[in-house]
Amino acid sequence: MFSDFMLTHAWLIPLLPALAFLWIGFFTRLHKKRSAAIAITMSSLSFLLACGVTWAVLSGPITMETPFVQKTLWFEIGSVRIFMGSLVDPLTAMMLMVVTMVSLLVQIYSVGYMAHDPGAGRFFAFLSLFAASMLGLVIAVNFAQLYVFWELVGLCSYLLIGFYYDKVSAREAAKKAFITTRIGDFGLLLGILLLQITFGTLDFQELKVLVPAYIWISGTSFMTIVGLLLFIGPIGKSGQFPLHVWLPDAMEGPTPVSALIHAATMVVAGVYLVGRAYFIFSALPVVMNVIAWLGGFTAFFAATIALTQRPIKRILAYSTISQLGYMMLALGVGSLTASMFHLMTHAFFKALLFLCAGAVIEAMQDEADIFKMGGLRKKMPVTFAAMTIGVLAISGLPPFAGFFSKDEILGAAAAVSTPLYLLGTLTAFLTAFYMARLLFVTFFGEASPGCPATETNAFMRWPLIVLAVLSCVSGLWGHFAGFGEWVYFGAAEETGIDWVIAGTSTVLSLVAIGLAYEIYVAKRWSAYEISQRFGVLYTLSFNKYYIDEFYTLLRRTFCDGLGRILYWIDLHVIDGIVNGLARLVGVLSTIFTFLQNGQVQRYVAVFYGGVIVLVAYSLFYAYKVLTLLGGAF
Amino acid sequence: MISFVEMMHLALHVGLPHFLLLSAVLFAIGLFGLFTKKGIIAVLMCIELMLNAVNINFIAFNHYMPATDLSGQLMALFSIAVAAAEVAIGLALAFRIYHDHHTVNVDDLNHLKG
Amino acid sequence: MNFLAIGTEIAIALLMLIVLAADLLLPKDVSHRRIGVISMVGLAVILVYTFGQYHIGASPTFFGGLFFVDNYALFFKQLFIIGMLFTILFSLEYTEKLLRYRGEFYVLLLSALLGMCVMASANDFITTFVGLELMTVSFYILVGARMTSEDSSEAAVKYLIVGAASTAVMLYGMSLVYGAAGSLVFSEVCRNIHLFYAAGLAGVIMVIIGFFFKLSVIPFHMWAPDVYQGAPTPVTALLAMGSKAAGIAVFMRILYTAFPILGNFWLPLLAGFAALCMIGGNIMAIRQTDIKRMLAYSSIAQAGYMMVGMAAADLAGMKAVLFYAMLYVFANLGAFAVLTVIDTERGGTSRRDITGLAQAAPLLAAVMTISLLSMAGIPPTAGFAGKLYLFTAVVERGYLWLAFVGFVMSMISVYYYLMVAKAMYRDLTPEEAEYAAPVYVPLTVRAAVLVSVFATLGLGICPEWLASLTNAAVQTFMR
Repeated sequence: MFSDFMLTHAWLIPLLPALAFLWIGFFTRLHKKRSAAIAITMSSLSFLLACGVTWAVLSGPITMETPFVQKTLWFEIGSVRIFMGSLVDPLTAMMLMVVTMVSLLVQIYSVGYMAHDPGAGRFFAFLSLFAASMLGLVIAVNFAQLYVFWELVGLCSYLLIGFYYDKVSAREAAKKAFITTRIGDFGLLLGILLLQITFGTLDFQELKVLVPAYIWISGTSFMTIVGLLLFIGPIGKSGQFPLHVWLPDAMEGPTPVSALIHAATMVVAGVYLVGRAYFIFSALPVVMNVIAWLGGFTAFFAATIALTQRPIKRILAYSTISQLGYMMLALGVGSLTASMFHLMTHAFFKALLFLCAGAVIEAMQDEADIFKMGGLRKKMPVTFAAMTIGVLAISGLPPFAGFFSKDEILGAAAAVSTPLYLLGTLTAFLTAFYMARLLFVTFFGEASPGCPATETNAFMRWPLIVLAVLSCVSGLWGHFAGFGEWVYFGAAEETGIDWVIAGTSTVLSLVAIGLAYEIYVAKRWSAYEISQRFGVLYTLSFNKYYIDEFYTLLRRTFCDGLGRILYWIDLHVIDGIVNGLARLVGVLSTIFTFLQNGQVQRYVAVFYGGVIVLVAYSLFYAYKVLTLLGGAF
Repeated sequence: MISFVEMMHLALHVGLPHFLLLSAVLFAIGLFGLFTKKGIIAVLMCIELMLNAVNINFIAFNHYMPATDLSGQLMALFSIAVAAAEVAIGLALAFRIYHDHHTVNVDDLNHLKG
Repeated sequence: MNFLAIGTEIAIALLMLIVLAADLLLPKDVSHRRIGVISMVGLAVILVYTFGQYHIGASPTFFGGLFFVDNYALFFKQLFIIGMLFTILFSLEYTEKLLRYRGEFYVLLLSALLGMCVMASANDFITTFVGLELMTVSFYILVGARMTSEDSSEAAVKYLIVGAASTAVMLYGMSLVYGAAGSLVFSEVCRNIHLFYAAGLAGVIMVIIGFFFKLSVIPFHMWAPDVYQGAPTPVTALLAMGSKAAGIAVFMRILYTAFPILGNFWLPLLAGFAALCMIGGNIMAIRQTDIKRMLAYSSIAQAGYMMVGMAAADLAGMKAVLFYAMLYVFANLGAFAVLTVIDTERGGTSRRDITGLAQAAPLLAAVMTISLLSMAGIPPTAGFAGKLYLFTAVVERGYLWLAFVGFVMSMISVYYYLMVAKAMYRDLTPEEAEYAAPVYVPLTVRAAVLVSVFATLGLGICPEWLASLTNAAVQTFMR
């Protein structure tokens, strides 16, 4: 009874934050406190609903094979009928929990963070819309609905990254994020259109039946193209190489936004899409290989960049790219469970890390360079403890959350391909190192004399504590409560720990942390000398492999060159047409003004002119009919 | 060529074509007045002429039709009533215009244009 | 006699009498808002009642089939009632401040509504004519209702003269159709092959011209800009949504039930004039500076869009037209509610009067923008869904070029709609700031514009809500 009620009202979960957005946008935009209260109330309500839905899923007969689907006709054009509604299966339930919880915590945190910002009302409106779009994406029943919310998520990220719109860098970053993800969206759109053309439906449940049949009949060649096109969307949205460039710049937005983008909304949308459409991808070996290798490469590649970066949020941003690479790797090697498990734990500890970073930056009065911090351990003990938990979790040390999920990914990779496994393990080592570096440099050592840092206020502290607890227990819980029997593809997965793999990665992480301690705290080796010794590599990493510069070059040669040609065409051809049109409009309006001179008798004359012409036409038509019938009529 | 007898027959025996012709001529006269008359009252009279031309049409058709329904005459009645209402409003507006502009010349009503 | 069938009309007539009596009883110098409230409550009750009249089986009739209450008629009646209800709601303040005969104003609004409702149900030429003239004659007076404005009386005289001329043409056409077909009932006219005679065809075309006048189709549109500009703003709103929709309601019924055998004759005409309207209306709207006048030209273009759906001449096209007519009502409600406030507070509706509105009344500026974007057909407003329905319907019938013209002209229309938005959202120069009066937005206007915006956006996001209603509406048509 209760669970039925929850399931049939799952559509309220995205709707409530959307209402908050409308309400704030229309009425309370200028009242900071009221806006925050509305946003948080609505988020809490949808969090409670998400809890109810999760409970219903856990206790009821709903599994990955038998989801709960509820839909209503959205629009109908010709023979195309597009529905919208809610699809609830364990995957959805998990995502709903994660997204509502993280966005609720981020909103609570924002009350403290945005306390002195005049645009706070606008900020809460956008946060609500962001959460609503992501939740709508999660419960989508078909690709059309998913795509609409996918674009909405992109729009919100644009609005929020560019929140400080008077800063040039924020505007540029917002545009970069929007345009880069748009490139991916275009591929996704093409893939969706191909699906609609081929199968005549976009519904996940229907496609689940149709796609395997189609592949069985006509092979994988065509579907591979569709799958690759679909995957371009997640490449853009989830910041996979080579479309990852927007994600580090996205830190121009307020820090709570970064937390939201990196943890629960936006970037995991891509991973979720692959998971949701896993019945397509898993049937296509080529695409699976692409996903696995791209994910593995991205994970390693981003980790090497993170090693040398200095701004705290930038390090975290590259770590996000790296972790997303892990998730893609897991999907590519065929383990939906591992990927989604890591998505969940990552959401908690990455939100934690970002919110801690926000607290630190706020305490340091907008100083982001970690080498200008130091010694914050004593001044911000709660933040320090939370950050430590986050770092341990992401480094994959037992018993924190990252250990279990990362171990599953590595186990799944080892079962499929040794090179991928090695890549993953190496990345784990690097991850532990750069995260330890961040922690040690920021919080250990001596504080600079004029350091203004103090502990954060309660609004910002409590979310940190909750997230820290979650980062501790979510991995354990997932492991022992049987996450794999809950979210899976094909057959339910046994969750066991391969002690060789787990042991290796744990030891490596410990070594990395020890290494970082020696370098940055004990100062046994000078960091500067090491960077000198690895000269070229260091420069490459520090400059992010010059990818941005490469894109700039590409743009300069191709886009600007093309632009110059098009500009010429525009100037001489298009403008000619437009000016001609304008002249035409001018001539037409002169004629009409001559007719429309205010004299009613002229109006009547024009009227009867029309009458005469039309009557003449009708007489002509009658004459034609008569001749056609030859007078027999 | 029709013979003289036939011509006389057409001229003396009034039939449907005569009525239609009469109505068309009346309509045309009204239309001509609508184009050329400058006073609002005269324009209204011309419109009345056109509407009455139509009434002749209706009644003539009704009379010469084989079926025995009276819908044409009914329509003419409604049309007369409506024409009266329109003229009543037209006269009231003519008063308004005279009050506002001190003339009833339609050529002076050209503030709204373009 | 099935009096329930004309229950809506009887109720409106009764409401009219009640309002008339209430006006007589009320002293002259007190507020007449309560009369407006009475009519709104009455209309709301009638609106709810009409929902109960939707049916699946045979449609109720009256006067031996001359008055036909199918779902199609009900849909249009609801459209008129909604339009009238919200127009009264947002014009309470306007009526109180700017009109002299306030009670009569409400009575005439209701009598125009009665005419429209009769038109929607008409199944023969007499009923059509009576409904049409009841509406038109009421509008002649309403257009001239603003006694203090010379423009108002000028517009009324122009409307009367051109309107009466058009009535004469339409009546002449009806008489010729009567002569050729021997009947005035649609279902009997359609069977008569004599329509193919010259007189029949000329009659048909003259009837069509009469409706072209109502829809302000080029070149029978000359009255529209002047009348729209001169009329009191709420009346302009009703002309744009009510009068036009009523014309479309009965025009479609006549074309599809009375003259279906002449399809080859009027379909190309309809398509051609639709294109002419879309091109001419949009081009002429570009150079207008008065917003009401601009909306007049834009309404010519909108009539063109709706005629695109009529040229499809099938159920999909009809559904599209119904959908578009309804969303056009909501878009117009938003735009004219804003203009009414501007007219009341700043005494005009030129572009100068709305400059900087975003600062004086941000809600109004937002509503105006959304409504205009809906008219231009930008997603996610309802206008986009409506145009999508219209153009797909017509493309499936093979008129690709017509959809193309419509598409291009929609893009051009964005220009002048956004010019208004630009004027509202730009900063004022110091001398303009001196001129700009503060704008007081009454609660009633807020309610009306919020309803219109939510409807516009809601129907844009989920068009199926309205589409299912239009489905029901066309199901019982032509039975």
